[in-house]
Amino acid sequence: MRKFLTAAIAAAAIFMAGPATAQEPPKDPEVFRFGAILAMSGKGDWYGKVMSRAVLLAVDEINARGGVDGIPLEAVIEDHKSGVAKEGVSAMTRLINISGVQAVLTSFSPPTQAIAPIADQQGILVLNGGGTSMALLGLTDMMFHNRTLASDLAIAAAMRAEELGLGNMAQLAWKNDAGESMIAAADPFWEKAGKSIVATEYMEIGAANIDTQVAKIRVSNPDWVALWTFSPETGLALKKLREFGVKVPLIGVEYTGDVKELAGASAEGYEYATDFFAPSAENPWSEQFAKAYRERYGEEPEFYAANYYENVYVLAEAIRRARAEGGAYWNGRKLAEVIRKSPTFPSVYAKEMTYQDNNVALKQVGVFRIENGEPTFQKFIDLNR
Amino acid sequence: MDLFLQLLVNGFINGSNYALLGIGFGLIFSTTGIVHFAYGSVYTFAAYVAWFLATSFGLALLPSMAGAIVAAVLLGVACYTLLYRPLELRRAPPLIPLIASLGLNIMLENLNAIIFGSGVRSANFASEVYFAGPVFFTSVHIWQVVSCIAVVAALVVFLRKTRYGRAILAMTDDPNMARVVGIDTKKVSYIVFALGSAISAVAATLTLMKDGASTHMGFIAVFMGFVAVIVGGVGSLRGVIAGGFLLGIVESLGLWKISTEWQSSIAFIVLFIMIMLRPQGLFSIARR
Repeated sequence: MRKFLTAAIAAAAIFMAGPATAQEPPKDPEVFRFGAILAMSGKGDWYGKVMSRAVLLAVDEINARGGVDGIPLEAVIEDHKSGVAKEGVSAMTRLINISGVQAVLTSFSPPTQAIAPIADQQGILVLNGGGTSMALLGLTDMMFHNRTLASDLAIAAAMRAEELGLGNMAQLAWKNDAGESMIAAADPFWEKAGKSIVATEYMEIGAANIDTQVAKIRVSNPDWVALWTFSPETGLALKKLREFGVKVPLIGVEYTGDVKELAGASAEGYEYATDFFAPSAENPWSEQFAKAYRERYGEEPEFYAANYYENVYVLAEAIRRARAEGGAYWNGRKLAEVIRKSPTFPSVYAKEMTYQDNNVALKQVGVFRIENGEPTFQKFIDLNR
Repeated sequence: MDLFLQLLVNGFINGSNYALLGIGFGLIFSTTGIVHFAYGSVYTFAAYVAWFLATSFGLALLPSMAGAIVAAVLLGVACYTLLYRPLELRRAPPLIPLIASLGLNIMLENLNAIIFGSGVRSANFASEVYFAGPVFFTSVHIWQVVSCIAVVAALVVFLRKTRYGRAILAMTDDPNMARVVGIDTKKVSYIVFALGSAISAVAATLTLMKDGASTHMGFIAVFMGFVAVIVGGVGSLRGVIAGGFLLGIVESLGLWKISTEWQSSIAFIVLFIMIMLRPQGLFSIARR
């Protein structure tokens, strides 16, 4: 009998343990604590306000539904003082050493760039929803972006020009990595469409005088002019192109208060492609998010809020997928691995989004046209097509 | 050929702006020996004052420019009174005012941002567009050239026909000898700071009208003024004018056949060539 019991216990133990390849049970923490390094003070504190609001809203929603597989999420919000790289590094160090986070949401390019080596070394997942610089690409496999980068916005603008049936393109670009990356993206797209590039001109950031560039664009007789610049130089470009008698469509990637101030009436008819969040009946989640945000904060959410709200859900989904694989899953490297393994996630914009090989999510972007000085939404452009 | 003509006209117009900047900066530099890099912030301040007067009180171009001139003169004189003059009295080595001027420039640039905000500003002064065959220009461009001519003419008359004008020329030639012969060099220094700052305000108001104003606009302005002075020759009015126009035309025509990504390098190339081939400048006077 004793032998039988011993054999039965041994058999049960083997059965319980399963085959040698079976996964280990998940090692759950008490709470999934993650960081958010945002612009909570300084000139860009508006960004910190909307982004942190969205993060907290998403955390509360997930926890109200029982957390991630029954374990609550907790956000620790830190301040990079509107883009100060060393503040970002200090915040990252505190989050890792004091709060013990495995994932961090970040914004603004300089602090995001500065924390990348730490994330890489310490194995911390980084989700960026604000920084657009191309310099953020390739810094580490631990970083993912759900903000459309400059090169993708350029392709969206070129797609819009193609839709409008425009031919010869002249382009005016910032002389920096953002401008060059937009040219590098738009040129092959436009040539593949069987159309010509008749002028490529560059301007310095902060340039006050672009008369030479505009004169060269004018004599190239383009059918449209692409503006691969950001604020405020886009305003100067619009003003100068119109002043020099360039009457063809102007299509770019940004329109801000500074652009409006500089360009004045010259901005009329200008079109631009940019990240844009608008709730739609096609995606009930977007309407649900907009309603919850409005009820809680008394304002309509815009794309920065949507990006950070979405990023918390991406993190929650990544945790769920990693936990399903068992073992010590609450680990930044593991989370990054599951995102790369299956890069499609639900999106608050469209139904879903997919991270490309460069870790940037392709999303739809909005096209706007300036009418009576104000941006008017024209349509969405799906970069996935 | 159409492009060549347009670039030539652009270069001439930009050259008139660089010449104005060079005249104001060079007047201070050649007379007092102070490399007044904060000239850029005085220029920026003047542009913002012109913008404020035009947008808040609806003033036209000339009254706005007059207000900007007054503001620039006050700030320029304050720079000399509060910073450079005490350094002169303490017989500070030449490097000290240079470093102090860089610090002052940063401080004033931030002050401009605090007072007027850090965003760009534009003023909608009336502007007409003209075409002469394939060449295009605006009334602002005409204003720039005319202002340069008017400032040069007024300055020539002032320097040659007035007591203080001749005192400035004497101090430019030899400050020690000027002091020995009884010229009040302190008063002359105040005058050149006032005049130089006033000229910066003319250029600043026209730049506001043409391209808008931003808090960092002063750096490139003072740099171009500095290059015009070095190329033309320190202490020479006609040299600075020639240097400004040469810089503007080379900067514009230099991009006729090459990519505009080289634009920011051209001023340096002109400067390096000039330093190597003719370090005394095109029209330098012998001094010190």
